[in-house]
Amino acid sequence: MSLQPTIGIETHIELNTNTKMFCRCGVVDTEDPNISLCPTCLGLPGALPVPNKKAIESITLLALSTGCEITRKGMFHRKNYFYPDLPKNYQISQFDLPVGLNGELEIVIEETTDNIQIERVHMEEDTGKSTHSGSGRIESATSTALDFNRSGVPLVEIVTKPVITSSKQAVAYIEELRQLAIDLNISEGRLEKGNLRFDANISVAPEGSSELGTKVEIKNMNSLRSLERAIDYEIERQTKAVEDGVEIIQETRHWDENKELTSTMRSKEGSADYRYFSDPDLPNMYLSEDFINQVKSSMPQLPKKQREELVDTGLTLKQANILSKSDVWIKSLYFKVHKQTKDSEASFNWITGELQGQMRKSSIEKLPEWFSYEYLSEIIELIKNSKISFTSAKVILSELLNTDTTPNEVAEQKNLFQENDTDKISEMIVQILEENQDVVDRIKTGEDKLVGFLVGQVMKQSNGSVNPGMAKELLLKKIKD
Amino acid sequence: MDITNLPIRKLNTLFSKKELKPSELYSQIFDNAANSEASLHAHLTLFEDENIKKAKESDLRFDSGTSESLLDGIPIAIKDNINIKGYKTTCSSKMLSNYTSPYDATVIKKLNERQTLFTGKTNLDEFAMGSSTENSAFGLTRNPWDTDFVPGGSSGGSAASVGARSSVAALGSDTGGSIRQPASFCGLVGFKPTYGTVSRYGLIAFASSLDQIGPITKTVDDSRIIFSAISGDDPRDATSIVNNQLDIPSDKTAKIGVIKELMGDGISDEARNEVNKVTEILKSSGYEVKEISIPIIELAISIYYLIAPAECSANLARFDGVRYGLRVDGKTSYEMMENTRAEGFGKEVKRRILLGTYALSAGYYDEYYGKALQARKEMIEGFIKAFNEVDYLISPTTPTQAFKAGEKTSNPLEMYMSDLCTIPANLAGLPAISIPTGVTSDNLPLGVQVMSRALSDDSLLNFSEIIEKEVQFNQQPKGWM
Repeated sequence: MSLQPTIGIETHIELNTNTKMFCRCGVVDTEDPNISLCPTCLGLPGALPVPNKKAIESITLLALSTGCEITRKGMFHRKNYFYPDLPKNYQISQFDLPVGLNGELEIVIEETTDNIQIERVHMEEDTGKSTHSGSGRIESATSTALDFNRSGVPLVEIVTKPVITSSKQAVAYIEELRQLAIDLNISEGRLEKGNLRFDANISVAPEGSSELGTKVEIKNMNSLRSLERAIDYEIERQTKAVEDGVEIIQETRHWDENKELTSTMRSKEGSADYRYFSDPDLPNMYLSEDFINQVKSSMPQLPKKQREELVDTGLTLKQANILSKSDVWIKSLYFKVHKQTKDSEASFNWITGELQGQMRKSSIEKLPEWFSYEYLSEIIELIKNSKISFTSAKVILSELLNTDTTPNEVAEQKNLFQENDTDKISEMIVQILEENQDVVDRIKTGEDKLVGFLVGQVMKQSNGSVNPGMAKELLLKKIKD
Repeated sequence: MDITNLPIRKLNTLFSKKELKPSELYSQIFDNAANSEASLHAHLTLFEDENIKKAKESDLRFDSGTSESLLDGIPIAIKDNINIKGYKTTCSSKMLSNYTSPYDATVIKKLNERQTLFTGKTNLDEFAMGSSTENSAFGLTRNPWDTDFVPGGSSGGSAASVGARSSVAALGSDTGGSIRQPASFCGLVGFKPTYGTVSRYGLIAFASSLDQIGPITKTVDDSRIIFSAISGDDPRDATSIVNNQLDIPSDKTAKIGVIKELMGDGISDEARNEVNKVTEILKSSGYEVKEISIPIIELAISIYYLIAPAECSANLARFDGVRYGLRVDGKTSYEMMENTRAEGFGKEVKRRILLGTYALSAGYYDEYYGKALQARKEMIEGFIKAFNEVDYLISPTTPTQAFKAGEKTSNPLEMYMSDLCTIPANLAGLPAISIPTGVTSDNLPLGVQVMSRALSDDSLLNFSEIIEKEVQFNQQPKGWM
């Protein structure tokens, strides 16, 4: 019996609005606790929530960009549960009338695409942050410190249908969702800051079975790596359980980052009854035709469309996907360089490979002001025309990142232009062949590989200014004559 | 002439003519409070020093002719579930016995802008849950007409304060009759405005979809003056609305309906007689009066005791000992929260939290809370139908006169019945007023209630003033001035 895993993912995206969801406190990025608070986000008696229009625009944008049906008459509900960092002991969320329903998101794995079905997109508010001293869990903490800066920050929850079948797909989905949020400019999309947080519902069932297995929810995954590992671990655990005839219990499990395993948080019997009911402090939320059209008109280019454009320049889907998930300046640099060189492969490789690699290595965060995209085009052209070697090009690039100069100047100064004159190279070769008669003999008897040694000698002699391709060609010609 | 008996407009005229100073009025008002407080316990806190200072500032404004507000220097008592910055706001609960508010409710801000004096904070049933002001953690309030009797509730402290002339007027809050019922029991005017016309920001919520702040006064005109000062759209309360008033006739062309369901079983002869007395007067003045049936009113108490507790179960969840108020330690955070709530809340509050939690629970929602919402819709439709036939609906305010302290404390259901006539207006969001019309054989006052269409508050007050004039109720409790 072969078992097929089924996965659904709930993602919380923290929006990048200036103010919180239901009050006018600023959304702050700081370690100083409890500095952005008011009666509303602290749950003081008598304080009331008023929705943040910008957040509603952001979620509507996300819902539209994923092709969701928009709920024109939406509603906020109260989700009731007690926790010390939840000031009202209920969270304002949405229940049966979320902003968006039934959408989809295209993801890319290597050279293929898949559509992940989205069940719902809804709006809610974030909780504060608890720091439990001792065990790290509230049940056994000796004390708990609370920071309410995050309390009331707008969150969008986006829930997929149970359609994901592997950890690879799950990771690709989160990567795509993150990029979408960044491109829509609704979130910073920084995983390390917790801007995106995700839970996964996982079950296994016999292949071809129309019914899903018992689902288990995994919480506390805070990176793509832990998402991938937790899913793989859980699929393996459940598969083994089914194979051993052990019953899988519907429960919530906690991903232990250090031990790399999941463990029971609470079983279904102990699961909370959230007693959802519509929040009487917030009237129904009507999204008018005008509002929706206005949001639509502000829609930027989506990652999917961008990939199509990139593929049209000659890139593979995988390359296009890498670029579409890169910073904006990298994407635009690619388009500019490609426009000049018409060489998608070289443009892609130089930008995502050498340029980014050197910048990372030298801890350069953004291109120096003097660095023109034309330099990259020039470098690509110089290589293509055999004016410089690949190795020299790297040297030139490095120089350009540190000094206000041009590729030609660097090549000139460092004497990096290649010798392409056949006569001059031939002259040099004659001398090298004489000095290495033994090698020549061995090549003649079939040890062709040794020609590399001779090319090296030519390069050495010429301080690297000879086009090595030409040198090799001429060497072989002379030896075999 | 006792100046503490005068209506606001008259007081303002005397101030303007320099025949009376606000400080003189305040001194009389404070003396009344000092004399009556030991017997009545209308207030939890009396503000004296700051008022002497504020009254002198009012004196100066009238001296220099620069006063611009009808409420300048008028001493008003505030129910202790309305936040005043820098003062304790306890809701008559042990839970908040040490809680000082860091902000002003919108109504307080508006009254401050009009240079009103706040005499103090008045007693109430804990978190406004009750009909007698006996559910106060700080001791009961007594009726100024006869101290063996309750003043009604939950705004019993506010009514007793105005009744004993310890304030010129008072603010109360009305969720199911908490302004009108004590006004009726204390021979005063009690006005619950249309839901949304007065901001709830800073009113500690009992049931958000029903709560409304309003005045308790000696005359209809006083209620009009205060309503006009405190009403208006508030950006801090999403349920507040622009006070665009409908213009309904109040002269003889107005049609009057007597609600059949509120004149039958469960209504005392004396209460029924008051209604008949008023309708006879209206008829003889040329008004058309007819009987109107709204059958669903018979379900009002059942609907109310599902919706109000459901909302309160979430509204009161924030009182957990974490951020403010009472904290009773425990071994874990959860134990601390449980201990705090066990000790901080009184019996009636706990009863309603339990009722509401149950009504919202998985498996019971549809049966209880869901049905109540549906019935509430029908109630609104029932009123719309009635108002197609008539302009004003008349009924008793309370089924009986005030009852004796202790008489109903052991029987919550009987206590709930005392709100039979007042609850429908809250469920339908309508403006409703209680006007004092007579005294019973026990020498206790009784009132009649008039309701009208949503947003016809001004017309309702005009019509009520006509009844007030015709009835000529001019009795008052003795011995406090």
